[in-house]
Amino acid sequence: MGITRRQFLKWSGVSAVGAVAFNGCLIPEQELQIESPVFLPEDLVNGIDNWYATLCRMDPEGCGIIIRVVEGRAKKVEGNPDYPINQGKHHARSEAGLQALYHPDRISEPLAREGDAHVPISWDEARRRIVDRMAGMSDRSKFLLVTQPLRGHQALLASEFVKAYGGRSMAYETLEQVTLRRSILEVFGQERLPVFDIQACKYLLSFGADFLSTWVSPVKYSRGYGELRQGSSRRGLHVQVDPRFSMTAANADEWVPVKPGGEGVLAMSMAYVIMRDGLGDQAAADALTGGGGHEALSAFSPDSQQVRDATGVEAGRIKELAHAFADPRNRPVMAIGGGSAGAHTSGLFNLRAIYSLNVLVGSVNTPGGIQFNPPPPLPELSTTDVMAMGVPASYREWKEMDRPQVLMIRGVNPVHGLPADANFRAAVEGAEFVVAFSSFMDETTAMADLVLPEHTYLEDWGDDVPDPGPGYQVIGFQQPVVSPFHAGTRGFADELMALGRALGLDLDSRLGLANVTDPTMEDLLKSGAEKLWEVDRGSVRASSFDGFWNGVLQRGGWWDTGTVDNSGIRNISPLDTAWPDISISDAPGGRAFNLVPFVSNSIGDGHLAHLPWLQATPDPITTIVWHTWVEMNTRTAEEMGLSKGDMVVVTAEGNRTVEAPVYPHPAVPPDTVSMPIGQGHTAFGQYAEGVGVNTLSLLAGLTDSSTGALAWAATRVRVVKSNLSIDIPRFEGNQFAEEADEQAIIKITKPE
Amino acid sequence: MTTNRISHKWGMVVDVDRCTGCQSCVVACQAENNIPINTEDVFRQRRAIQWIHVERYWEGEFPDVRARFIPVFCQHCENAPCEPVCPVYATYHNNQGMNVQVYNRCVGTRYCANNCTYNVRFFNYWEPVWPESLRNQLNPDVSMRSRGIMEKCSFNVQRLQKAQRVVEGQQGERLTDEKLKEGNYLPACVQACPTNALVFGDFLDPDSQVSHLKEEHLDGHGRGYKMLEHVGTEPNVIYLKKVDIHAKEVVKGHA
Amino acid sequence: MQERVKLTDAQINKDLLRSMEENPLWYWLLVGALGLAVLVAFAAVAYMFNRGLGVTGLNRPVMWGFFITNFVFWIGISHAGVMLSAILRLVQAEWRRPATRAAEVLTVFSLMTAMTMPLIHAGRPWRVMYWVFPLDWARGVYPNVRSALVWDPSAVFTYLTSSILFVFIALIPDIAVARDRTTGWKHVLYSVLALGWRGSVRQWKLQLIAGILLSAVILPIFVSVHSIVSWDFAAAVSVEGWHSTVFAPYFVIGAVHSGVSAVVTVMIILRSMFKWQDYIRLEHLDALAKLLIVVATTWFFFFVLEFLFGLYSLEGPEIRLREMQVFEMPWAAFFVAFLVCSYFIPVPMWLFRSVRRSIPLMIFTTVLVNVGMWLERFIIIVPGLARKQGLTFTWGGYTPSAVEIIIVFATFCMVSMLVLLFAKVFPLIPIGDAKEGVVLEDEIKIGKVKVPAIMRED
Ligand SMILES: Nc1nc2c(c(=O)[nH]1)N[C@H]1C(S)=C(S)[C@@H](COP(=O)(O)OP(=O)(O)OC[C@H]3O[C@@H](n4cnc5c(=O)[nH]c(N)nc54)[C@H](O)[C@@H]3O)O[C@H]1N2
Ligand SMILES: Nc1nc2c(c(=O)[nH]1)N[C@H]1C(S)=C(S)[C@@H](COP(=O)(O)OP(=O)(O)OC[C@H]3O[C@@H](n4cnc5c(=O)[nH]c(N)nc54)[C@H](O)[C@@H]3O)O[C@H]1N2
Ligand code: SF4
Ligand code: SF4
Ligand code: SF4
Ligand code: SF4
Ligand code: SF4
Repeated sequence: MGITRRQFLKWSGVSAVGAVAFNGCLIPEQELQIESPVFLPEDLVNGIDNWYATLCRMDPEGCGIIIRVVEGRAKKVEGNPDYPINQGKHHARSEAGLQALYHPDRISEPLAREGDAHVPISWDEARRRIVDRMAGMSDRSKFLLVTQPLRGHQALLASEFVKAYGGRSMAYETLEQVTLRRSILEVFGQERLPVFDIQACKYLLSFGADFLSTWVSPVKYSRGYGELRQGSSRRGLHVQVDPRFSMTAANADEWVPVKPGGEGVLAMSMAYVIMRDGLGDQAAADALTGGGGHEALSAFSPDSQQVRDATGVEAGRIKELAHAFADPRNRPVMAIGGGSAGAHTSGLFNLRAIYSLNVLVGSVNTPGGIQFNPPPPLPELSTTDVMAMGVPASYREWKEMDRPQVLMIRGVNPVHGLPADANFRAAVEGAEFVVAFSSFMDETTAMADLVLPEHTYLEDWGDDVPDPGPGYQVIGFQQPVVSPFHAGTRGFADELMALGRALGLDLDSRLGLANVTDPTMEDLLKSGAEKLWEVDRGSVRASSFDGFWNGVLQRGGWWDTGTVDNSGIRNISPLDTAWPDISISDAPGGRAFNLVPFVSNSIGDGHLAHLPWLQATPDPITTIVWHTWVEMNTRTAEEMGLSKGDMVVVTAEGNRTVEAPVYPHPAVPPDTVSMPIGQGHTAFGQYAEGVGVNTLSLLAGLTDSSTGALAWAATRVRVVKSNLSIDIPRFEGNQFAEEADEQAIIKITKPE
Repeated sequence: MTTNRISHKWGMVVDVDRCTGCQSCVVACQAENNIPINTEDVFRQRRAIQWIHVERYWEGEFPDVRARFIPVFCQHCENAPCEPVCPVYATYHNNQGMNVQVYNRCVGTRYCANNCTYNVRFFNYWEPVWPESLRNQLNPDVSMRSRGIMEKCSFNVQRLQKAQRVVEGQQGERLTDEKLKEGNYLPACVQACPTNALVFGDFLDPDSQVSHLKEEHLDGHGRGYKMLEHVGTEPNVIYLKKVDIHAKEVVKGHA
Repeated sequence: MQERVKLTDAQINKDLLRSMEENPLWYWLLVGALGLAVLVAFAAVAYMFNRGLGVTGLNRPVMWGFFITNFVFWIGISHAGVMLSAILRLVQAEWRRPATRAAEVLTVFSLMTAMTMPLIHAGRPWRVMYWVFPLDWARGVYPNVRSALVWDPSAVFTYLTSSILFVFIALIPDIAVARDRTTGWKHVLYSVLALGWRGSVRQWKLQLIAGILLSAVILPIFVSVHSIVSWDFAAAVSVEGWHSTVFAPYFVIGAVHSGVSAVVTVMIILRSMFKWQDYIRLEHLDALAKLLIVVATTWFFFFVLEFLFGLYSLEGPEIRLREMQVFEMPWAAFFVAFLVCSYFIPVPMWLFRSVRRSIPLMIFTTVLVNVGMWLERFIIIVPGLARKQGLTFTWGGYTPSAVEIIIVFATFCMVSMLVLLFAKVFPLIPIGDAKEGVVLEDEIKIGKVKVPAIMRED
């Protein structure tokens, strides 16, 4: 090249200086701020997305959601800000709906049992087989349709189907709210669940209701809770009476650990103190005691040993609670009860006593208290038959049900969820023909002769009349937001209508769709919407039906805030002053504990155990994931020589056992252990199978004597150390998490 | 790209008294940001990735026991210790008050994670695995991270970009006179949080909720504090103290 | 003060070139075994590259573990070379002669080994060039000079370059000897490397000047290297136990402690392997042990300072961290082992002349020092990460995986193997130095100073 060294050095020098000089003039400001010029996809978002309003069907509460859809794929679930129940908010569980839609283990075509295996068949063939079976059935009363609690037009359709064909239907829910509904009916005379106005409440007394996590309508209550805490007015207080330190108890200002089953006695004792000390509403007190006054409740005096034994709460504490509850300065006050409080042999007694406290202090039909819901806007949706579709059957009903000949199951898994005593498995095995509508091969579906893969709710039509509603009339609309992911799935309602036609049931005219050829769920919804349109009031009004239809789909539903139920309580039903029957199944030998099972904040009662996001969502208290564990008091565990991760054998009456690791923490009552339910699946896809154990299999099957509901909190168990130990998968680190020093992570302050 | 035509300083106010520990924010963030599925194994290996996570602290013994929850995520420190230590500028401060992570540049030294005061940087020890069909749910606006790189809360910068493009006309389009307002741009966690414990906004916008809350709470009289303030990271996240009816004056922490 | 053994030139050549000329079976077996271990580690590294860092025991929050510990350790060992050669050369310590080459070679190989550690510990090792070199210029992104991780490679590379030069300059006369005694390809290789060395007075002079200049230049580099390595930790404001201003001198002196000990260990091993009793003599060990007493005690002083500074702040998390290091298992065990190994056993023993002149006891104490010093790095690095700030919720721990253990173990094999292989190719004791008395003395001018060209014995 003929370059000398000197030349080379010269040029390098010049170019270096030049580079520096040029850069000095040219460096753009961003670069001085060291902003990388390298784009991320995050910086260049150009895709067009569509948002569709629909309903979340991950839980019975049915919140309004909007789905982000990009290029035909659902990408994100968000709360529908317009929808009255959840007002833009949602829960961990609703996000995971996407994973149900795109789950790798979804069933994508109809399957028929051949021997031990299921083989694919066509929909035509599947329907032919059902019609063959059902058309020729001699005793149609032996037909049983088992679904989750249905509401709205789906409930209407199902009830018409059963009426037209014959047979029965039963709604299944793992931990049913039978006792709750009965107590609301008996105390307030209401068939629908009421509104708990947590938002405006200033003193909230909750008995066993894990309302921030899983109870009834947690998103709605959480939203209200934020307002109770730091809303525009004075900060409200929350006292949780609970045998378990639930997520809700952890958030309470005070947690009153109570013996399982003793909640009602505690509430009665409070009522006694309130009446004795002349607090509360005198007229209500008279009505509640049939004029007997506090004397009528003397058995529940906090000073009696019996009360202390039943509740485990000191007399002084009960008096304090009663006084605080009746203190006018604390108003509005509210008492709510549910969960474990209603899940004992004394369940109905407990809940009646708890809800009656509201009557005693005048917290019914007031802001911050208990308010009632009006009936649905469309009369056909409030017939007793349709309403009954929304009410789950009690455990006793399952146990005593007549064995069906043809069983049709839709979207529920009683084989996993019902305690062994109910013998549902035998009912399935005994039936001649079992059809399961299901998206996943869960334990129940696996036993079916015919498996019909359903659309997920994101691919299907539907509607909902929320129960509990927000205090006024609402109908939520559910629309398909994406086209079906698998070509071989169908909507349950569409298929039921088609079956009705094939069986010659004349469903269409019963549903008022005689003028439509081969109607579908969409047509049924439209016919309902047309009636709503004609009513011409509420959130969506339009000059044409098409405009109205688009309007309700866009907003996710229709509601009318003017339709408030001000009826109040028609007559106050007196308290049941007899001492309740608090019995508990006993554990054989060994050190016995009260077992308090609980519903998981993420996988719920187990119907969401197949979704990896939810399996991987830490339990709020323990941060445990992908597992079942036994919560035990730290001290007790020390006494028993147990440390975190040691496996224990938990044995209940009748030698039912499960084995799970211990997680000791300081907030477990020493005589109690608690375990989440919902795991221990033997089928249900790769993310559920083999994870944890089925806690429900421990339950002895005691029931509430009056409602027949499963007394799932009435079990005692023996806990014995096994010689295994595991590292429990969890999010927290390996140290006990306490504030380390004055530079606290969570700083606290006293109320203003 | 951002321009300096309109200045923003994004930040969050977290009301610890409202937070119930419900984990909605956690799953919302998981869904929005293509965070890999945390398997049982990664939890055992203590390598689970959660850009926002809820920490639970215990106090006391039964029956006088308390558990408190606090959502923790990148504090977008003004004086971020993670930034100067990164040898390749894979993490830097943008001019809107955010700490940004450029996955492309990251070589995976993990130094930034060591120096992050809040332990909110997550390293991809394994290549994320998605079953084919679940890939359909992935957010096209967010990069998929491969193994060997660091990731963390981005304040949902993809949503910012979109909002800025739509409202302010930034990113190469004709600039408008409009300015992002409250609610034009909300991170997924904030949107989800059922108790409204998370409030997001622009500290430079005097009308924003966060500015009001900051004014109300951060000058010694309210409940405001910044986490681990003594380290000097100057976070853009303000926490509001948990109210405890049993607290004396202020049991823990400086005023 | 030193005893002289009268040796002829021929005898010296024969003795010192023994390692190169004889081919005993044990030598190749040993090299083979070490090589095998290194190969296994290569397989482990390949496996790790293939699967990701998931195969290590690292986690959140402990993101640095065995590899970084080992990096700091080998950087520390590398400090022996300059320490001995440069300082001793400049202070004219005559007893250094037989030790220098081994020490310098140890420096080079341990530096090379050390450098592999951060390389393989990176999440995306195929991209580390962006970290070390300004390869992203085109896009206007430079390596971040604020990051100690950018200074690290600069310092280490500089140190490596200068140590290689250092070794090489001193090696030239010996290569010439080898050149004259070999034939064939070896002859060609040595001829090229000998750079035309004929042993003329001018050549000796130049070689000496180069050596002294390098000694002077390399000293600040040597101080900088471990200072910078210490800043990897000291600059981390968020990690208690790392963020300490005393780290730079503490690390440097600690490095000298472990480095000199390692040199003693290596010298003793070589001495018995190649029968160099006449060259590596007991008085050399004696002298090194005396030096070690001073170094170790200075280091211990810094250790106490560092610990006190930590406690003096009276900050909760810092104190919790110290408590963990000292009282909680297994850290307490490591802590005690570290102190006992690196100070409380060896230093008192070295006070005795009989120990200083005992081959087995010297090898025992110096190996012990390095066990202790490895642990020292470990208990500085990991606990700080495991207990970061008051975030007790995320506090964690760390257990190295088999992959990490294999790789770390193999680094010891690799350094040993490289030293042995070096001994096969080049004389490990400077022949020239040993013959120095023969060559004329002179004075040379460096700048304005006159220095003796040969450091004579008196
Ligand atoms: N999200 C999304 N991704 C896509 C697509 C999509 O529709 N959506 N489409 C895909 C398709 S079909 C394609 S073809 C690719 C295109 O992908 P790219 O090839 O990356 O396309 P561009 O961004 O158009 O251009 C690349 C660069 O070339 C520069 N450039 C322009 N003219 C010249 C020139 O004369 N010389 C040089 N050296 N550079 C020049 C531009 O400034 C720009 O920076 O994208 C694919 N990726
Ligand atoms: N202004 C501008 N013009 C450009 C370019 C640019 O960069 N800027 N780039 C040029 C280049 S490189 C290209 S390749 C072309 C691309 O130009 P086009 O081919 O027009 O690309 P798109 O608009 O991305 O897609 C076309 C349509 O296909 C639909 N579609 C998506 N999936 C399917 C499917 O499975 N089946 C069917 N039937 N339809 C489907 C989409 O909804 C969309 O409506 O544009 C060219 N023109
Ligand atoms: S609570 Fe959550 S999961 Fe249940 S319906 Fe509402 S949004 Fe869906
Ligand atoms: S892990 Fe990535 S972002 Fe963090 S310091 Fe290393 S290169 Fe930078
Ligand atoms: S919180 Fe951590 S990751 Fe976020 S800016 Fe601060 S130091 Fe960086
Ligand atoms: S701001 Fe976005 S990235 Fe950060 S925690 Fe919230 S959802 Fe996740
Ligand atoms: S969503 Fe809100 S209330 Fe729930 S854990 Fe997150 S910050 Fe707390």
